[in-house]
Amino acid sequence: MKSHSLKYLRLVAAALCLAVAIVLFADFSGTTARYLAAFAKMQFVPALLAVNFLVLLFLIALTLIFGRLYCSVLCPLGITQDLIAWFRRVFSKKTKRRIGLHRYQQPNKAWRYGFLALFAILFVGGLASLIPMSYAGLLDPYSIFGRITAQSVVPAWRTLADSAASSLADKGIYPFASIPSAYAVVSYTVSAIAVISFIAIAVFAWRTGRGYCNTVCPVGTILGFLSRFSLLKPVIDTDKCNRCGSCGRKCKSSCIDTKNHVIDYSRCVVCMDCINNCSQGAISYRIARKAQKAEKGSGIDKGRRTFIIGTSIAAGTLASAAAGKVTDGGLAPLKQKQRRKGLIPAVPAGAISLQHFRNHCTACQLCVSQCPNEVLKPGISLDGFMQPVMTFTDGFCRPECTRCGQVCPTGAIKPIDTAEKSSIKTGSAKVDLSICISAAYGQKCGSCARHCPADAISMVKGENGNLRPTVDESRCIGCGACEYHCPSGTVGQLRADHAAIYVDGLRTHQTV
Amino acid sequence: MRHNTPKKTDTGRRSFLRNMGIFTAAGTLAACGAKTPTDGDNGDAKKGGMTMRVNPNSGDSVSLLGFGGMRFPTLGAANGTDNTTLDQEAVNQLIDHALEHGVNYFDTSPAYCKGQSEAALGTALSRHPRKSYFIATKLSNFDESTWPHDKSVGMFEASLRNLKTDYIDYLLLHGIGMGGMANFNGRYIDNGVLDFLKEKRADGTIRNLGFSYHGDIEVFDHLLAMMDKGEIHWDFAQIQMNYIDWQHAKEINQRNTDAEYLYGELHRRGIPAVVMEPLLGGRLASASQPITRKMKERRPDDSVASWAFRYAGTPEGILTVLSGMTCMEHLEDNLKTFSPLQPLDDDENAFLLRTAVEILENDTVPCTACKYCMPCPYGVDIPGVFAHYNRCIEEDNLPRDISDPQYAKARRAFLYGYDRSVPRLRQAARCIGCGACVSHCPQNITIPAWLGKINSYTEKLRSENID
Repeated sequence: MKSHSLKYLRLVAAALCLAVAIVLFADFSGTTARYLAAFAKMQFVPALLAVNFLVLLFLIALTLIFGRLYCSVLCPLGITQDLIAWFRRVFSKKTKRRIGLHRYQQPNKAWRYGFLALFAILFVGGLASLIPMSYAGLLDPYSIFGRITAQSVVPAWRTLADSAASSLADKGIYPFASIPSAYAVVSYTVSAIAVISFIAIAVFAWRTGRGYCNTVCPVGTILGFLSRFSLLKPVIDTDKCNRCGSCGRKCKSSCIDTKNHVIDYSRCVVCMDCINNCSQGAISYRIARKAQKAEKGSGIDKGRRTFIIGTSIAAGTLASAAAGKVTDGGLAPLKQKQRRKGLIPAVPAGAISLQHFRNHCTACQLCVSQCPNEVLKPGISLDGFMQPVMTFTDGFCRPECTRCGQVCPTGAIKPIDTAEKSSIKTGSAKVDLSICISAAYGQKCGSCARHCPADAISMVKGENGNLRPTVDESRCIGCGACEYHCPSGTVGQLRADHAAIYVDGLRTHQTV
Repeated sequence: MRHNTPKKTDTGRRSFLRNMGIFTAAGTLAACGAKTPTDGDNGDAKKGGMTMRVNPNSGDSVSLLGFGGMRFPTLGAANGTDNTTLDQEAVNQLIDHALEHGVNYFDTSPAYCKGQSEAALGTALSRHPRKSYFIATKLSNFDESTWPHDKSVGMFEASLRNLKTDYIDYLLLHGIGMGGMANFNGRYIDNGVLDFLKEKRADGTIRNLGFSYHGDIEVFDHLLAMMDKGEIHWDFAQIQMNYIDWQHAKEINQRNTDAEYLYGELHRRGIPAVVMEPLLGGRLASASQPITRKMKERRPDDSVASWAFRYAGTPEGILTVLSGMTCMEHLEDNLKTFSPLQPLDDDENAFLLRTAVEILENDTVPCTACKYCMPCPYGVDIPGVFAHYNRCIEEDNLPRDISDPQYAKARRAFLYGYDRSVPRLRQAARCIGCGACVSHCPQNITIPAWLGKINSYTEKLRSENID
C-alpha cells in the first residue's frame, strides 16, 4: 500500500469507530447493542478493569506493531479531538492553514507522568475500595467520551426520534416499540462534569491538537511507553527532507522535531498527516531503517464534515428536550415521585455487590443510555460519584431485560441471562405503612401486590383492620415494580412525596 | 388483517368510531339519519314478504321481526337536546311503516322510556285495527313498592289504559331471575299476583302468559319445573339470544346463562321463544374491520346487524326477534333482513360461532368517551386508555399471534401508540382498583377490570424481547 493512502484508511476507520461509539450510546431500541457492545469492551481502561486479557494483549500487540493507532482510530475521544482540531484548521486564515498551526514542543514530562501517577493513585484507590472507580474514570478517555455523549447526543436523539416517530405514526409507520424519555439520562452532576470535560478537551484540541492525549490522558501515556518500540512508524528520509518544517507545523501531536529529524514516537498517534503533508515525499510509514518511497497527496474529508453538522444539529435540539409534558385539564394532577433518602443504593443484577460495582464502574453512562426502562440513573452521592444506581420512580427493572450487563465494558455489571436474573436478589421491598393508602387510609389498592412479578407481596389485614402489604423476603428480588406502581408519591392529592413501598438495595446480591 | 383498506385520516376514523360508539351504546344498529349504503340497492322490502311464525299454543301468526318499544325516538334526538320526552310523531311513523310491512308484534313495558313507552305505543297502534297486531307488555318488578297485590293489579290495569285496549296478547313476568328466587317469590307468588294473571288469562284479558328471563338460572329452571309439574302453562318465554350469548354468555356477564341452554330447555317443552338483545345491546351492529370484511365477502349487500338477526331468527322455535328500532333506517334494514328471512345454513352458522370467539378475543371496550368517570383520583386517563385499545382493535393492530408476520409491527404500533396517546403515569398500570369510576359509567363498563386486562396485555407485549 502506498503510504499516502494510509491517512484515508485511518480516516475511514476512525469515522466508522466514532459512528459505532455514538450508535452504541444512542440506540435505545436494543437492536444494535448486542453487536456494538464489543466496541466498548475494546477500550483500554474498561478492558483493564474487566481483566480482559485478550483485548489487552491485542491492544499491546497493536501498539507494538503499528504505534498508537488506538488513539487515532479506536479511541472515540481521540477522534473527537481530531474533529475539533480540524474545525480550527477550517476556521483559520488561509495562510496560517498553509503554514501550519502547530509547532514542535518538548514533551511535558512532569505533567504527563503527574497525571499518570494521579490516575494510578485513583485507580488503585478504586481497586482498594477507598474511593469509587468513577474518580479514575474522570481521566479515562472512553468514560469522558461516554459522559459527553450520554448528556448530549443521547437526549437529543431521543427527542428527535420521538418527534419523528410521532409523525410517522400518523402514517401508520412504527419504527420503535418505545422511546425512553429524553430526561431519563440527564443528570446535573454528570452534565456538569461532561460540560467541563468537553470544554477542557475542546480548548486543548483547539490550541494544541493532541495536547490532551499527550499530557493528561493516562492511556496515551501508557501506550506511549510501548509505541516508542513499535515495529512500524513514520520515518523521515533525511536525504529527501528539505527542512521546510511543514510536517512539524502540521503535526497535531507537536511531536516532530524537524530540525533534528526526530519524531517522538511516544506522542505520535500515527495519524499519517505528515506523510501526506511532505512535499518531498520524505516521510514514510515503515519498519524503521528500511526506507520506502512515499508520495505526496492531500484531500479533505467529506464524511467528517457531514458528521460534524449532524452532531451540531443534535446538540441544538438538546435544549428542547427540557420542555415539560402537557396534560389535559380533566386529569388529576400528578407529581414526580421522589426516591427515599438514606437507602442502600440498589445496583443491577450482575453487579455482584455494591462494592464490586463501585470498584469497577468508571461512570461511562453506557448502561444508563441503554436502560430501556428508565431505571438506571447516575447517582449524585460522592461515595458513588456519577455511578449509576437503580431508581424506581419512572420505571422498574423488568425481568426480561439484561441489557446493562450485556453492554457494560468494565465488568462492573456482569452479563447474565434472564433465568439468572430472576434468581438474583438485588434489594428488598420495605413498607412505610404511614403513607400506604391501603394500610393508613383503608383505600382499596394492592397495586404493589398486583404488579409484583415475583408474587412476593401479599395484602393482609393489619392491626387497624385495613389491608396492608407484606413482603416475602425470600421471593422479593428488588425489581422495584411495587415502588414504581405505588400511587403514593405520584398522585398530586396525596401528601406523600415517596412511594409507600420501596426497594432498599442489598450490599451483596443474593440468590433466591 | 388490514390489507388494502382505503386510507382515512386518523381523526376522521376516530370521530367516526366515537360516533359509532355513541350510536351502538344507544342500542341502535346503524347511524340514524344517514342512509346505509345498501339502502335502495335491492329496493324496499316487499310488502307481504315478512316471514311469519305460528304460535303453537294460540295459532297466532306472528311476524318474525318484532318491534321493541324500549328505544323509541325522543324529541331530544330530533333537535339535539337532552329532552327525553318521546317524539310521538316519529313513533307513529315507525309503527305505521312497520305495520304496513308486516310487523305485527309490538313489545313494551310499564318501565320503558321513563314509563312513556306503553302510552306512545298505545297511541300509535290505536290508529289501526286491533286485530292487525299483537301487543306484548309486562308486569314489571322494578320497585318493591309495586309488589303488593293491589299495586300489581293497578299496574296491569294501567297498561290496558295506556295501550288503549281491553286485552293483552302477550303478557310477561318481567325480568325473572333478577334478585334470585327470593325476588321471584316476593314479586309473583307470595302476593298471589301469578294467580291473578292466570285468572286474567282464563277470562281472555291475557291471551298468552309468559316470562322474560335475565340472571339467576335457578329461577328459570324453577319456572320450567313448575310447568313440568303441571302447576302452570307458559305460553311463551323471552330470552336473550345472539351468536355470542349462544355459548359465551358468561364471558359477557357472569350472571347470564348460555342461550343454547335456555333455548334448548324451552324448545324441548314446545314453548315458543321471543328473542331479546339479538344485537347484544347494539354491539353486534358493528364489527372490527376483519370481521366486517368476512361478512361482506359472504353477503356484500347485507349489514353487519343483519347477520345477528338472521342468527336469532333461524331456529324454528323462535316466535319473534325483538329489535328496539329508533329510526326509520333501522326499521328498513331490518325489514330487508326479515322479508323474508333467509335462514343461516350450517356453514354460516359455524362462521358466526367462530366470529363470536373472534369478537370476544378482540373485544372493544364499549366506552363512548363521555368522561363521566374522570378525573380518576389516581390520574389514569381512562377514556384515553380505552380509545387507544379500541383503535388498535379496529385497525387490527392488536397483536395476538406471535407467528403472524405482522406481529412485530402490530406490537410496535400498540406499544408506541400507547405511550404516545397516554403518558406512562396515566396508563392502565396506574389503576389501583378503587372503583370510584364504576358508578359514574353510563355504559356499566367494569372499568377497573378492563384496565387490568389492558395492562396485563400491555405488560405481556412489553416483556417480549423482540424488536
